[in-house]
Amino acid sequence: MRRMFLASVIASVLIALLAIGQGIAAEYDVGGRPFTIMGYITQGAAFNITGKNRLDAPQDLESALTNVFLETAYKPRDDLKFYGSGMFTADWAYDIKSNNNDWVSKGFASSRSNLYMDNKDWQLVKEAHVTWTPPNWNIRLGKQIVSWGEMDGFRLIDQINPLDGRRGFADVEFETTIIPLWMAKAEYYVPVKPSWIQDLGVEMVFNPNAEFVGNQFIKPGNNAGGIWAPDINSGLPSPPFPPGAVANVGSANFDFQRPTAFNSSGYEYGLRIKSVIHDSIITLNGFYGLDQMPVAKVTGMDPLTTAANGNLLLHPDFTGKYPLMRFVGGTFSRDITPLKASFLGGVAPVLRFETFYEFGATEWTSTNDWVHRDEFRYAAGMDWKVKIPVLNPRAYFTISPQFTDRRIMNYPDRTDFTLQTPGGPLYENNYLTSLMITTSYLHNKLVPSFFWMRDLTNRSNFFRYQVVYDYSNKWHFSLGVMTFSGSIQGQGFEPFHDKDEVYFKISYKFG
Amino acid sequence: MKVRSVLKCFFLPSLSLAMLAGGLQAADYQKVDAGTYLKHKGAMDDPRPVYKDLSYKKVLPPDVYAKLSWDVPTMEKAWKEVVGFAAPEVVGKIAPEIKPGKYTYKDMETMPGLKELMIPYFRDKFFKPGAPPWLGNFPEMTLIPTRQFYYQLPVAEATKRNEGKTKLDSKGYIIPSSYESGIPFPRPSGPFKAQQIVYNWLKNYWCAESSDSVGFFLGFNSHMKMDFNGLIEIKTVRLQGRCAIAPLGYFDERAKSRKEQSAVMLSYLAPRDQYGTAVSIVSYENPADFDLFQVYVNVLRRVRRMSATDTQDAVGGQDIIYDDNSGFNTLNPNRYPYKIELVGEREYLVPFSTDGSIYLSSKKGLELKNVEMERRPLYVIKMTQLDKNYVYSSRLLYFDKENFVLYHIENYDQKGRLYRTNDTFTTFVPEMGMTTQTFVISRDHVDLHSSCATPFITPITWLRRGDMSLEGMIKKGK
Repeated sequence: MRRMFLASVIASVLIALLAIGQGIAAEYDVGGRPFTIMGYITQGAAFNITGKNRLDAPQDLESALTNVFLETAYKPRDDLKFYGSGMFTADWAYDIKSNNNDWVSKGFASSRSNLYMDNKDWQLVKEAHVTWTPPNWNIRLGKQIVSWGEMDGFRLIDQINPLDGRRGFADVEFETTIIPLWMAKAEYYVPVKPSWIQDLGVEMVFNPNAEFVGNQFIKPGNNAGGIWAPDINSGLPSPPFPPGAVANVGSANFDFQRPTAFNSSGYEYGLRIKSVIHDSIITLNGFYGLDQMPVAKVTGMDPLTTAANGNLLLHPDFTGKYPLMRFVGGTFSRDITPLKASFLGGVAPVLRFETFYEFGATEWTSTNDWVHRDEFRYAAGMDWKVKIPVLNPRAYFTISPQFTDRRIMNYPDRTDFTLQTPGGPLYENNYLTSLMITTSYLHNKLVPSFFWMRDLTNRSNFFRYQVVYDYSNKWHFSLGVMTFSGSIQGQGFEPFHDKDEVYFKISYKFG
Repeated sequence: MKVRSVLKCFFLPSLSLAMLAGGLQAADYQKVDAGTYLKHKGAMDDPRPVYKDLSYKKVLPPDVYAKLSWDVPTMEKAWKEVVGFAAPEVVGKIAPEIKPGKYTYKDMETMPGLKELMIPYFRDKFFKPGAPPWLGNFPEMTLIPTRQFYYQLPVAEATKRNEGKTKLDSKGYIIPSSYESGIPFPRPSGPFKAQQIVYNWLKNYWCAESSDSVGFFLGFNSHMKMDFNGLIEIKTVRLQGRCAIAPLGYFDERAKSRKEQSAVMLSYLAPRDQYGTAVSIVSYENPADFDLFQVYVNVLRRVRRMSATDTQDAVGGQDIIYDDNSGFNTLNPNRYPYKIELVGEREYLVPFSTDGSIYLSSKKGLELKNVEMERRPLYVIKMTQLDKNYVYSSRLLYFDKENFVLYHIENYDQKGRLYRTNDTFTTFVPEMGMTTQTFVISRDHVDLHSSCATPFITPITWLRRGDMSLEGMIKKGK
């Protein structure tokens, strides 16, 4: 481990020196063709601001995240490109606070093995693919990202690549959270079309299950999930416990059945028809594969333990699998020009819509069993730029609301059982909405933004206030605050109610 | 994960793919991509004459170069017939004592004629030593003899053939169906003379009907510190009224059925945040039809539909807005209409670069070096915005009378302050009848920021629709 750490530090320093010493562009000539190196180095710090000495929140510094992202591209021919990227992530809070009594006694130090350093091969090697683009074709083999959908922050139809959510809502870069997979993708753009179709392409995706990763979710228990471990309580049986006794959900054991490498049970297939019709982008999507999120049952309980504050901690055993996922869906996007208004700046909103119908989704019940139900999910979003001169005389405000519903078809009669997720009940309709507002000052150098996500069904909120200063196209500084609240214990964002934090990040981007 | 299995599974097919691609016949054309361009011209402090080192005769396949070249005297004669004059014959009337030679800004004090020949903005804000807050001042220049500018022979023929066909309505707006090809109003006249001049620019044939270009894009704050450093590739296609590069007329059936006018595909190679972003814009003949504006967003790995009405916000830290790209927003009686007037018609000194040796110096206040100027007969057009909600209250534009190229634009905000200016330094390629952009300077006079672009534009004959559409965006994207 020490060697790995030292190697990582040396690599980071070398990359930094290489980057800083590069001047305008990190480009080399290899065989007469350009070979590009670029990336970024970020260093962040986050401080809990809940203000109370809570079991699920460290005092003061709670993370000191470093990301080093390196990407390379080489084009030996105009129609052939090799691309690779790698990332190193470390949270130095585990070193800085290793002797901190609060950090150790609350169990955060014990999550070191999960969250100190991302050094698994699938974490270090992000993308590695070759792309061949003869006329009308785009063929890509290798570890890659295939991104579907129109929504930001909500994942409906975008189900091919898993997500790394272990670090919760921390201000990580987009490319750090999507997990590339080894896949083959072929796109064919149809040259002869009816005149009412401006563009038409067919995309086929095959995942041979070279390495099943699945979504990386926040684990319960400070000693497993770290600073983002949710605060969830569960009632204890009486007797033997006093009436009304509760325990916190602590670390759990997860035993998820996953397909072995290249086993056909893990094969995944995606088909997307992409088109531009009358200036609208329309896609039809179909997917057959595995849900990146497992479904689980409680199959046991380890002995109760006691937390630093004297609370009892439950340690459930979960057994589960990554169930089959089959859906068809589509997306639509265009601007609605009749809605432009001169007094608002003359910009028409862009409407984004996406939907899918999943056949036979596997759901967890309140009776700790699995059932199959179809699901219908849809989401609508809008991006509207408006001019508010009194607040910003020179730049526009971009206002982006989104709404989504996850509807369970043939929802069970509640007298039998209800459906649930680890994050709380799953209702017949499950509504989420979000709002993003951003603008810019100082010639686009200062970008403040406000983001609000509301779980309408569980009546909970997540707010993020952030300002980014782009000193140059190399140096960027971010400062922000995140807050969480909820009305129903253990549901929606409520389990994160003690996670309010202020964060700061410096980024150096090169290439 | 079994590393060996994965490598075996993907390495071999990938290697096969690469070998298959490599085994196919390579293009017999040395594309002037970013790497090639960087070898012949640096972003700054580089006086090399890029249009000599990378002349089109050197970079284009011989058959293509031959297709895009015509007899110079024939082109000169044809264009003179079309517009009614040759520039050298109509200049020299103002301050005839100012002859070709080298001049410095100090000469304006002793030579009032030199001062008189300068566009006022140049006299006050450009022709002087480099100093904050904007890049691009030049304290010295070489005055060269005025040249005749003309277009490709097929453009002259099309202009002559279609003269008189293009019509304006009663308010001076073009009737789209009446335009076929060529410069619509080669001899502007009548009550809508100003509008005709503007439409000549909108329908012009500079920079080739199909082109592939690469260039740096640098931004500097008011302290002359670089805050943006971009590298961009741009493909452009004229979709309607093609005369010189096949296919002639409409580019394809889609362009014809949808009445498309032009297409641009822009891809970012740098900075890192924008690497792998591609922008596709298709414009239509009918000004009432909004552009089809799509962006491949690199970090999302997705194509997003953007609103083509979002034309007044500054483009990512640059000193232009979308509406400034063609000089001004689409002429539409129902959306930010203008009152267009001809306010000047006379000769001025206009900056050029005959061989691409012009360069930005990193020292001495970011001065521009190797600037050449020549007397040009110009139209000065004032466009007064009739909608008080628009970002600009008026624009002042300087067009060349001979080829209708737009050289200088001043944009004033609703308070009457000078807001943004844009200046294009061009290079004329005689054997191809082509005027191309060599250096572009944009200045923000309110935020005190400036930027420059150094495009190298190559006329090509092999662009496909796929290069300009969804397929092209995905290929250029990350």
